[in-house]
Amino acid sequence: MPSSTSSNDFSLEGKSALIVGAEHSVGRAAAVALAEAGAKILIASQEPGTDKQLKEVAKLVTAAGAKPVIRVQSATMRADLSATADFAAKELGGLDIVVNALDTPAYGPAEASDDTAFDKIMENNLKTVWMSCQEGARVMLPRGGGVIVNITSVLAERGVPNAALYCAAKAAVLNLTRALALEWARKGIRVNAIQAGWLDDESSPANKDDEFSKNLLKYLPYNRLVKPEELGGALLYLCSPAAGFVTGESIAVDGGLRARV
Amino acid sequence: MILDSLKLDGKVAIVTGAGRGLGRAMAVKFADSGADVVAAARTQSQLEETADAVKTTGRKCLIVPTDVTVSAQVNALAEATLKEFGKIDILVNNAGGGDGTLGKQLPDITDDDWRRGIDTNLSSQFYACRAVIPQMVKQKRGKIINIASGYGLRGGKHNFMYTCSKGGTIQLTRSMALTYAQFNIQTNCIVPGIFPHNEEMMVFFKGGKFIPIGRVGDDSEMGPLAVFLASDASNHVNGELIAIDGGGLAGGITPTGVSPETSN
Repeated sequence: MPSSTSSNDFSLEGKSALIVGAEHSVGRAAAVALAEAGAKILIASQEPGTDKQLKEVAKLVTAAGAKPVIRVQSATMRADLSATADFAAKELGGLDIVVNALDTPAYGPAEASDDTAFDKIMENNLKTVWMSCQEGARVMLPRGGGVIVNITSVLAERGVPNAALYCAAKAAVLNLTRALALEWARKGIRVNAIQAGWLDDESSPANKDDEFSKNLLKYLPYNRLVKPEELGGALLYLCSPAAGFVTGESIAVDGGLRARV
Repeated sequence: MILDSLKLDGKVAIVTGAGRGLGRAMAVKFADSGADVVAAARTQSQLEETADAVKTTGRKCLIVPTDVTVSAQVNALAEATLKEFGKIDILVNNAGGGDGTLGKQLPDITDDDWRRGIDTNLSSQFYACRAVIPQMVKQKRGKIINIASGYGLRGGKHNFMYTCSKGGTIQLTRSMALTYAQFNIQTNCIVPGIFPHNEEMMVFFKGGKFIPIGRVGDDSEMGPLAVFLASDASNHVNGELIAIDGGGLAGGITPTGVSPETSN
């Protein structure tokens, strides 16, 4: 049987990718997937003190065939994201891909959420993504463009109790993606999103031995949570030149959950 | 490795509407990715051209002339595939057509017009899903890709059968996805934007000037998306629709390709 030849449709050989939020499970999986596809990788964390976690991610990225550069937040969010984008372009010799895996789930009753909670949830889940898109684009635009992928959630389009602000922030990321896609469509930057289903990771509220998790599993089309690595295929497709006509779109990796609701 | 998960080596793919355009592009890209192809369409001569292109990749191509609006012919397509290859890994429901009555005033649309529109775009996809599903269930694996349209989501003035049939495609996709998830069968939908196939259409669509990205799609761009959805790289993507439209739907309600600031 002749071996197929077209895997180079999806190759990222020679491309430079910045993964923001690499300390999270999805960011980690994203870094590995893009490294396997041949990209040069910079993994960044917006959480001070995560050096150790990033070193662990770096090992996985190295095993996937890339030599990752690491950067942990060292200044205020804006200054740091700005410096990170410049740093990526310098260290990697360009900036073709930015993946914003800035996801900080936050659950709690609405009546108990104060203004500080609002600001924090919006900052962690929306403002950081916005800034990272802006700073990424600032570097990409003079170079003729690039690709941005924002990781959001199926909660962007559906509500869930005890997560009003998180749902609102996730919805905002989805529509931010669409609007930026339109704005930069003719300037060479494609902006897309991935909507993760209920994830099986360290910050998931769904992998506990409780009633919520049990009921949820019954409801999921595959009766299991999504592994962060399972987002890799959709991410790679969106990042690859093969998706040149895809912008302002999101791909849900949720096993079909959203088809039900 | 992730690139290996995007290969289709040893897979068998049925593509309807494979005689030209996007169907041919997907068929050839599948073969290029390692799959054997069963090409279905009404016109034998067009299928032969597709087969020639498939065979240049070294893969096999079985031609099955099929009118997809006739369920017996669609069943025969699945049977012919099984006879030749012994399995069905991938089905692409691409056959369909523009609406011949587009623009016709509602009172002038006949029952036949309505049925033809729905049969060509929607019943055909239902028939093919029904024809392949017993085999895919038996295999405990399968990938179904239905081709819809932006008009499956948008309404259109004097646009009835096309919008209704393509909207039906999206709902068929979701219900297939939920019904057969337990058998490891993923059903998804591609929502193509504008892909002109000749100069006349290119002129009609003004080269895509009104599309946010500023151009129309090229047939070659459909293949990789179909490969992604046909491959193991999308095993947890199910019941989803993916638009490949240069940002058309993302813009939706605004006149596309212009911004309020720069429009004049």
